[in-house]
Amino acid sequence: MTNHWIDFQNSDCILIMGSNAAENHPICWKWVTKAQEKGALVIHVDPRFTRTSAKSDMHFMLRSGSDIAVLGGLINYIVNNDLIFKDYVLNYTNASFLVTDKFAFQDGLFAGYDGQKRSYDKAAWAFELDANGVPKKDPSLKDPRCVYQLLKKHYSRYDLKKVAEISGMPKEDLVKFYKAYAATGKPDKAGTILYAMGWTQHTVGVQNIRAMSMIQLLLGNIGVAGGGVNALRGESNVQGSTDQGLLFHILPGYLPTPASSLPSLAVYNEKNTPVSKDPKSANWWQNRPKYMASFLKSMWENAELEQAYSWMPKLDPGGSGAYSWLALFDKMSKGQFKGFFAWGMNPACSGANANKTRQAMANLDWMVNVNVFENETGWFWQGPGMDPKTIKTEVFFLPCAVSLEKEGSISNSGRWMQWRYPGPKPYAETRPDGDIIALLFKEIQALYKKEKGALPEPILTATWNKTNKHGEFDAHATAKLVNGTFLKDVKIGDKVYKKGEQVPSFASLQADGSTTSGNWIYCGSYTDKNKAALRDLKQTPEQAAIGLFPNWSWAWPVNRRIIYNRASCDPTGKPWNPAKAVVAWNAAEKKWVGDVPDGGWAPEEKYPFIMTKEGFGQIYGPGLNDGPFPEYYEPLECPVASHPFSRQLHNPTAIAFEGEDKAVCDPRYPFVCSTYRVTEHWQTGVLTRWLPWLIEAEPQMFCELSPELAKLRGIGNGDKVIVSSLRGQLWAVAIVTPRLKPFKVQGQTLHQVGIPWHYGWIHPKDGGDAANLLSPSVGDPNTGIPETKAFMVNVRKA
Amino acid sequence: MPVTRREFLKLSAAAAATTAFGGLGLGCAAKKKAAGPLPVPADRIQALKPEWSKQTTSVCCYCSVGCGLIVNTSLATGRAINSEGDPDHPINQGALCAKGSAIWQMAENDKRPKTVLWRAPYSDKFEPKPWDWALKRIARLVKDARDKGFETKNAKGELVNRVNTLASVGSAALDNEECWAYQAMLRSLGLVYIEHQARI
Amino acid sequence: MNGKSFFVDLSRCTACRGCQVSCKQWKKLPAEKTVNTGSHQNPADLSFVTLKVVRFQERVDKGKVRWFFMPDQCRHCVEAPCKMASGVEGSILHDEKTGAVVYTDLTAQEDFEIIRGACPYDIPRQDPVTKRISKCDMCNDRVTAGMLPACVKTCPTGAMNFGDRDAMLAMAQNRLAEVKKKWPKAQLVNPDDVRVIFLAVEDPAFYAKNLLAQAPETRRFASRRDLLVQLLRPVKSMTSV
Repeated sequence: MTNHWIDFQNSDCILIMGSNAAENHPICWKWVTKAQEKGALVIHVDPRFTRTSAKSDMHFMLRSGSDIAVLGGLINYIVNNDLIFKDYVLNYTNASFLVTDKFAFQDGLFAGYDGQKRSYDKAAWAFELDANGVPKKDPSLKDPRCVYQLLKKHYSRYDLKKVAEISGMPKEDLVKFYKAYAATGKPDKAGTILYAMGWTQHTVGVQNIRAMSMIQLLLGNIGVAGGGVNALRGESNVQGSTDQGLLFHILPGYLPTPASSLPSLAVYNEKNTPVSKDPKSANWWQNRPKYMASFLKSMWENAELEQAYSWMPKLDPGGSGAYSWLALFDKMSKGQFKGFFAWGMNPACSGANANKTRQAMANLDWMVNVNVFENETGWFWQGPGMDPKTIKTEVFFLPCAVSLEKEGSISNSGRWMQWRYPGPKPYAETRPDGDIIALLFKEIQALYKKEKGALPEPILTATWNKTNKHGEFDAHATAKLVNGTFLKDVKIGDKVYKKGEQVPSFASLQADGSTTSGNWIYCGSYTDKNKAALRDLKQTPEQAAIGLFPNWSWAWPVNRRIIYNRASCDPTGKPWNPAKAVVAWNAAEKKWVGDVPDGGWAPEEKYPFIMTKEGFGQIYGPGLNDGPFPEYYEPLECPVASHPFSRQLHNPTAIAFEGEDKAVCDPRYPFVCSTYRVTEHWQTGVLTRWLPWLIEAEPQMFCELSPELAKLRGIGNGDKVIVSSLRGQLWAVAIVTPRLKPFKVQGQTLHQVGIPWHYGWIHPKDGGDAANLLSPSVGDPNTGIPETKAFMVNVRKA
Repeated sequence: MPVTRREFLKLSAAAAATTAFGGLGLGCAAKKKAAGPLPVPADRIQALKPEWSKQTTSVCCYCSVGCGLIVNTSLATGRAINSEGDPDHPINQGALCAKGSAIWQMAENDKRPKTVLWRAPYSDKFEPKPWDWALKRIARLVKDARDKGFETKNAKGELVNRVNTLASVGSAALDNEECWAYQAMLRSLGLVYIEHQARI
Repeated sequence: MNGKSFFVDLSRCTACRGCQVSCKQWKKLPAEKTVNTGSHQNPADLSFVTLKVVRFQERVDKGKVRWFFMPDQCRHCVEAPCKMASGVEGSILHDEKTGAVVYTDLTAQEDFEIIRGACPYDIPRQDPVTKRISKCDMCNDRVTAGMLPACVKTCPTGAMNFGDRDAMLAMAQNRLAEVKKKWPKAQLVNPDDVRVIFLAVEDPAFYAKNLLAQAPETRRFASRRDLLVQLLRPVKSMTSV
């Protein structure tokens, strides 16, 4: 999230698209309701009518997977009707930048496409630079090669007729929606977007979010109170676990994982550190070498930096298609892995194409499964269709403590790092995950110490071994390491920091190895005090006016509650909307008041989008794998043979695996299916299905379908149905409801159904099995996230 | 039928106690407690007081809103007796949804496996094992797989220092400090197949 | 002193069911074995161990889908018909201070059919084993200790409110005036007769058949009409709506 939960109250228009916020983030509705009762409009765009729709002022239905058509239409509407926030667009976005004439777009493909590799050469999308190496600009926005004109041309194809025809959302609904949201392009109006997996779980997932980010920039909605681009993340610490680099492609703090082509830290830094020739661009990532050096020192304090870098495991090319979740399980199914940890996860239900995942696990020599309850992963060898006698996998189930029993911090979607204290002691022989990690690492270290083996140094000299005097995991000591420490006396400005002192903020981190910081974005969280544990409701009047609560817990980065907040002011530092100022420049005292600004420079000194190389919000985004502008493509499984925007039916760079068929206009699987969640359960249900009060409220797998489809298939409400796809089938209880309805797409009637992904065969016995038995292993080319929101199924009465 | 205030409180306290422990087949810890002397007073209000329980703050483990919780843990049993929203917390202001309200039942749940479980290859059952045995055995398996699968250089001869035969998924269910420690362990071992919930 | 009351603003209820579970959490009531019957509502009804249930009701008006949510519970009638119908001294109590209507163990000696039939909202339920009758007790232990009822404390949106009756009635009137701007048919349900005052944005029947007090002849135990005619007040107001 650029903003935070309480900030929803400051919005004038809350768009919920790709999310079912009232059901899946129920407490956020407190703040949505506050905004609504102050006059804000709440708009829900979704393939279903949900509890969110019931409480919204407007609800519009679109066929699952057609978001870019609808959002492209919104861009077209904004630009054609000249509804952009012009001062913002000119000053803070790259709308005026010129793009070289290598860039082109034709029939669904951008310049630079290589059909063999199914990927783009992004060099074809570059900006045109002046003699100093700074992008050329046309402030009149009239040059046909400027971003604004390219945008206008690209989305002129997204007219109401085409958008309506493919999305199934009637023209009059589109206009109503566009008009309402575009009204936030005024200096004193803020519109916000709340999205979740309804946008990410598509083969165009990142581009769904890009499209909306562009809209937010065109309307001047980023950096302001009540605005922003807000991902409602699905788990209590999925923000933190991502920040801490538990992904193949990033180390903690979003530092890229070293690649095999980068043999030294010097080369790594050169390759991964952007250079801007524009003195007004803060280009914050120019500091990357400091953060990488501090990370390496946090891993191996006593090693030289180059030595430490050499120990880091390195990736070959291939990105998400080679290393991400779907690829990992594809390789597991081919027998690549001997050992596997499923730690606090239930991939037997959570990953797409669950049958493939479950079968893949039988190829492992051993598996370690850490969880609170019995689950379909640790017990996979007992599952449906499995014969334990033929499965070699040695399995360890390690029972862990629950959150109420543990101490440590988690980071919410608003980037608030909040400390938990332990209540009850761990139940029976269960242990906190931290203890398990610490104890296991000690055992491994002991073996390497005794026997040596392959490259033992990184194991034996690892700095992290933070246990307290009782030998248990020490969350405080680890939090201090994540923050960072001076390894010797360091003079910064006039101040000398002593060896052993905590680093006060990432501005003090060093590239020469004199500081540690396990994660630079968390630097400042644990200094002389543990700021995640702060519980002070005190605010200045400016802060109270928009509910920033800067003294309650701590937010990364540097306790900034709304990021890109310098864009909430005009170029002189005066808030666009003084009634809801996030920051304001006090010229007399030469300082910002309100939130922690995105850098303390005077307003005219630096551009506000400090994390981009050029310092501008990216309406044109040349960094993604599938194009600088979002383009419409059908899901990889879809009910149509063509769409009105190009002859390129699917995302040409999407991740897919050979030999796995897709249902495209396949009469055996005529209905679009989405998976989703309900309030009463969570994820694969391991932490909710075993709770009697929650399974009581939503006891069984269901399939929601429209009365029209039910009639077509002779299905009554409450009947048991079989839902099937190319990959498997499952039973569900039919919920026949007018909350779903057929779509008119290209003149045909198309049906959509929906199933929750909370159930699994292990418990309850009459609860049903995982929705992901049906979903395909195809994914977004940038993130690798699978397309579980739109695939094709059949439904029949059981 | 006039009832004085004093009589009323006495009677209604009895009613409350009966509702709580009246042989309703509670699935969880309370059932066991009912068999012996009650470790907490039947009066739930009394049980929240410092003589009977310690009070701690936590944060809900389900979605990412980050709602504050107040947990009361019995001094006598060390188990949680109540969990509700933290009224001081600026985001939830005491509120909780169905899941957050049920979180007590995750901790106090007799379906939680109590010990390490181990399944031998080709076996049809899990068997309980001590922690020490399991951790030593896992460390052995990790070392053997790592030593055998370790790659110093890739096919192109570039330095890679990695192990392609081990993989990990998880976890957004860990605390920040645990996540950091976990990635430190995995990367010290040379793993590159590191994934978790953010990817799905 | 007019005692306490709830104000339940249904325009704000999202059916998150925090109240339904919080009730069980505070009272440590067990879960029931349920099945999906083609609805998200579960348990399907109140029971001896389910004192609060969120009811879900869909309808289509002029082609537009509506979804109505209603957290159902005992209304703590100002003059409780169940208490009037009681035949056992000390079984049904009315706390003069809070106005809570509380059932004790002695309800096991009542004629359950009469007690349930007396309720215009069909709330009381009986334990088949002990024969005790149960329903919401207004979290009388919490309220007496100065705390909010568990269901009110947990409500995220301000749908559930609790306080002195006069304050709740004032809040109800204010919200009614506000909500009517958007929903002209909004109304307070039996506000003079009950201590759980619902604000419905449409016809109360759209939410649940028993949101509004039911006349004796439409109740579950219509044959007991004669016995119940003296239990007048909620019924009277129903006919005046």
